[in-house]
Amino acid sequence: MSELFYAGGLIAIVSTLLVIVQSNVVHALIYLVLSLLAVAVVFFSLGAPFVALLEAIVYAGAIMVLFLFVVMMLNLGQASRDQERAWLPPRVWIVPCTLVLVLLGMLLPQIFEIAAVTNSPFVEVGVKAVSAELFGPYVLAVELGSFLLLAGLISAYHIAKR
Amino acid sequence: MDYDNAARDTINAFAPSVSWEELLWLLPHEILGATIVFAMLAIAVRRHFFVTTVITTLGLIAAALAASMQFSHLVQGAPSALVTPLFLIDAFAVFFVIVLCLGALALAILGFGYFARLDDAREEFQLLLLLATLGAVTLASSAHFVSVVIGLEMLSMALYGMIAYPIHSKVGAEHSLEAAFKYLVLSAVASATMLFGMALIYSQTGALEVVGSANSMLGYASPLALVGVMLVFVGIAFKLSLFPFHLWTPDVYEGAPLPSVALLATLGKVAVGAFFLRFLIHSHLLLNESVTLVLALLAVASILAGNVLALRQTNLKRLLAYSSIAHMGYWVVALLSGVGLGSQNMAASAAAFYLLTYAALSLGAFACLSIASSSESEAGVLSDYRGLFWRSPWLALALSVMMFGLAGIPLTAGFIAKFQVFFAAVESSQWGLLAALVLGSAIGLFYYLRVIYQMLQPAGEEGRTLRDLGLESVGSVITITLVVLFVLWAGILPEPLLVLIAALFG
Repeated sequence: MSELFYAGGLIAIVSTLLVIVQSNVVHALIYLVLSLLAVAVVFFSLGAPFVALLEAIVYAGAIMVLFLFVVMMLNLGQASRDQERAWLPPRVWIVPCTLVLVLLGMLLPQIFEIAAVTNSPFVEVGVKAVSAELFGPYVLAVELGSFLLLAGLISAYHIAKR
Repeated sequence: MDYDNAARDTINAFAPSVSWEELLWLLPHEILGATIVFAMLAIAVRRHFFVTTVITTLGLIAAALAASMQFSHLVQGAPSALVTPLFLIDAFAVFFVIVLCLGALALAILGFGYFARLDDAREEFQLLLLLATLGAVTLASSAHFVSVVIGLEMLSMALYGMIAYPIHSKVGAEHSLEAAFKYLVLSAVASATMLFGMALIYSQTGALEVVGSANSMLGYASPLALVGVMLVFVGIAFKLSLFPFHLWTPDVYEGAPLPSVALLATLGKVAVGAFFLRFLIHSHLLLNESVTLVLALLAVASILAGNVLALRQTNLKRLLAYSSIAHMGYWVVALLSGVGLGSQNMAASAAAFYLLTYAALSLGAFACLSIASSSESEAGVLSDYRGLFWRSPWLALALSVMMFGLAGIPLTAGFIAKFQVFFAAVESSQWGLLAALVLGSAIGLFYYLRVIYQMLQPAGEEGRTLRDLGLESVGSVITITLVVLFVLWAGILPEPLLVLIAALFG
């Protein structure tokens, strides 16, 4: 399973980088779908098939299709591609990249240290176990989640009506 | 199959998941939820702003009453209850639930006066207010990162709609849309950062409980868990608008309609602050020097940046935004004076008192602003208030009390709050923080008094006439009166309130 994990992780990182760098919106979205699917593979390899399925269906499926529809409706052409490129000149990258590299440099030794110590057994968490948790101790979280969605719904309704 | 058995074990271990007794502890939350559903049905039957407002206020009063009954039980020594892993109902949580419900009550009344003449659907404002309150109440009583995230998101999700509320009216729509969009993007980034931090903490401690034993030793935890803690701090600092994460504050305050800004400045800060206080108390994080260093830097930078940037503001909403940055800096000084350490009671009560006072003062200030404005024309610029003392002396007096309170002048609650922070900082010998506190307060005096100076100026031609108060503003006038009385009472006779707050941490 660990080969699958590393393969999925590598694809996810590379495709996410490509999402940021791409100036063509449609290509960027396709890379985003790829990245989300790769994350789904990572979840699967970690023993969480339910989360992997949700990731594939909800994110890669529903949300990304919505994104693609919006992009197609906006009908962006060469002009927007040029604008994107103008917004991202190379010098913009310097500061964020430096900061991120510093953070990575500090985190990496920690992560390797943990990898050397921990040797936790592989536990698969199936659909039943997840549901038992959701409707057991976390049932109030599910109820509150419905109110969270209601808040989003009412906000969106008010902003988007007419 | 193997994991079928595991699942059955899990089911057996937790069934029945929530007992009636536990549900009784969540009565304020349930009342709020029921009010939301009821108000929504009432709107579906017939749109009527007054009826929706009455339902909202009654629901909030009922929730506050239920919480006060719980509070009297808990203060008399009833044991606090952990309701599922998600909520810890103790005196601390219930106290903040009462404060949040009363604050929301004031906002519902203010919103009624402010939006009475909006040329758009007005009823959803009260619905969103109720949802934001439910989120805030969840946050203040949460014992688990899951409920923290859900509460925080519910609060923000309702706020997006409330900030963009006048979007379909003819005046001020672009500003509110810009403000809502800014808040949406930045708040989403902050939430994502916070979630990543929680994941890192979980990877190290294996627990998501804020109050459980596993995360109580975070102060001594591994560096990776500390990175997680820092990322959680980023999310909290964004919501409290501490210095490097404050950039959204003035723009959102300026663009959003006044009742929404008041919600952002009161409920938003109190709920996040209450969670932060509980997190620090239970995790013993302040024993770790790198954590205290980071928080001290945030506090000093917020105090200095907030006060200095407020000096040149001519828009009263922006001025209050920068002042909120400075005030949250003072509040962090109170935290650093020993929350979660041996002498925690004094510092923690100073912090809780400061939070309460700041919420009351900013609620009062925004209430004065909103009674002088309506959704068509906001009186935001400082020169609008020129000569207010000669045109409407009572309003000017109320606004002056709030400005004195924010500046920390004696006989107002602001003085007692600042004095407590000062005292706690002296007790724990935080001399650097103390210097920032004194310097910031001195700078702050200038711009708060400038507002009063403007109001004392003779009313010239440029002084705008404020709108006449109609019948819809009666509730707002009563609210302002009550807030002013509270601020003066807590400033002159703070004893009962201080004893009450000290009992929260006993």
